[in-house]
Parts: sequence; structure tokens; C-alpha cells
Amino acid sequence: MIMSETSKFTEDILNSARQKTDSIVREAEAETQRASEEAKNSITREAEAIVRNARADADAVKRRQISEARHRTKLREQQEKAKVMQEVLDQVRKRTSQLVTDETKYLPLLTHLIENGVRELGDKTVMIHLNKTDLERNKSLEQKVDRNLGHVKIEWAKEPIDAVGGAVISSLDGKIRIVNTLDQRFEALEPKLLIEGRTSLFAE
Amino acid sequence: MSGIETVKVIVDAEKQAAKLIDDAMTEASAIRKTIDSLVQQQRQQMLDEAKKEAAEISARAGDEGRLEAEQYERESAKALQALIARASARKDATVEKLVTMMMKLE
Repeated sequence: MIMSETSKFTEDILNSARQKTDSIVREAEAETQRASEEAKNSITREAEAIVRNARADADAVKRRQISEARHRTKLREQQEKAKVMQEVLDQVRKRTSQLVTDETKYLPLLTHLIENGVRELGDKTVMIHLNKTDLERNKSLEQKVDRNLGHVKIEWAKEPIDAVGGAVISSLDGKIRIVNTLDQRFEALEPKLLIEGRTSLFAE
Repeated sequence: MSGIETVKVIVDAEKQAAKLIDDAMTEASAIRKTIDSLVQQQRQQMLDEAKKEAAEISARAGDEGRLEAEQYERESAKALQALIARASARKDATVEKLVTMMMKLE
């Protein structure tokens, strides 16, 4: 082999080696680049999830704070409304107890309560119980009630009942009692009074 | 050049080529190794930034929520005050109406 041929041969060997080394390094670099991009994508997703979760938590915190404020406000509103409503009901009780002194308004109601009670009881003979004030004015009542309920024998109890007004109508043996006092009427009407009162006070 | 010398030159070239390839493989291995630490470093940095942002979002949400809640309560208190004032003005008329209901004959 002459010198130039040997040189060419060795040069070929080295060139081939250099090409291979280039390829090895390029492949390593490309591989690294791919891995780096994949890792970056994965980390980006991880980081985005952290921020997304933080936003969701933050929204929940805000919603909870607003919701608690709404609840506190609603509670305060209910308390204030109940307070005003209670004042009104107290006034109604007071006014009702004052109205029993106004015979022109009260006596028709008392007569009505007695007659209703008697009809509801359905006995031929009944006992009517009144409070002390009404017992003292029962002459005018007796006449009116007797006139309207002529077919029923009425006995008036001597012992006064403890009530603002109205009457208790009972069977003679006292086993059946129809309580038509104003106190009872107030209790019976209270749900209606509350509805009407709330509408009247708080409607827009 | 004698035959022995020629063989020697070729063997040397082969050795040199083998060394080149060996060095390239070492370099490739080093390149591959750097990716791990780079990725780890990048990961730590990005996650630290995300955590910082998350902490800021949380702190801001707490403040915003509190402010919104305070604002809501202030406005509600005003509205309630107006409602109660209106109800108070209607109290006497309402009492009259309910007393009339109480005394009404059915």
C-alpha cells in the first residue's frame, strides 16, 4: 500500500468515526430536548393544577364569606321583624282588653261568642261562665241571649272566670267545655293575625 | 512504508476512531445526565412560582370575600333600617286592622 492510500484509508476510518460521534451527540441532544419538553409540559400541567385549585378554593372561600354574611343578615332581619310583630301583637292584646270596656263594640261580640258556643255544644241546657266584669252586666246579656236562643235553657255560673272577656260555655256537669274567651280567640286567630300583620307591616 | 508500518498506522487510526466514539458516548451520557438536574431545577422553579401565585390568590380571595361580605352587610343593614322604619310607620294602622279582625263577628 502506498503512503497516500494508507492516509486516505485512515482518514476514512477517522471520518466515519467523526460522523458516528456527531450522530451520538446529536441523538443525545435530541433525546434531551424531547425529555426536557415532555418534562416541561408535565410540570406546566402540575403548576396549572396548583393555581387552578387555589382559584377554586379562593372562590369557595369568597362564596362562604358571602353566604355567611347573607345568613347573618337574614337572621338579623327576622329578629327585627319578629320584634316589631311582637310589639304589634302586644298592642293588639292591650287594645282588645281595653275594648271590652266599650259596650257598644264588645257586647255584640260577647253575645256572638256565647251563641256560637251554645250552638257548638248542642245541649238543651248549658252553663255560661263569664269574667267578673261581664257577670256584673249580665242582665242585658241574659235578655239578648235568651231572645236569640229561646230553645236552650241557659244557666249563668256565679263564679267568675279568669279571662279578659268572652265566655266559657259548658255542659251542666262541666264535662264538655267550649272556650270562647277573648284569650282563646286571640290564640286561635294568632296565625291569621301574624300573616295579616306581616303583610300589613312589611309588604313593599 | 513497509507492510508492518502500514498496519500500525491503520491500527492507530482504528484506536483513534474508537477513542473518538468512546468520548462521544461519554459526552452523550453527560448530556443525558444534565437533563435530570435541569428538569428537577425547572420543576422546582415552576412549582415554587405556582405555589406563590396560589398563596397570593388565597390571600386576595380572603380579603375580597371579607370586603364583599362587609359591603353586603352594610347595604342590607341600610335596607333593613328602611324596612323597619316603614313598618314602624305602619304599626298603628296594623294594630287597628288586627283589633278589627279580633272583634269581627264571623
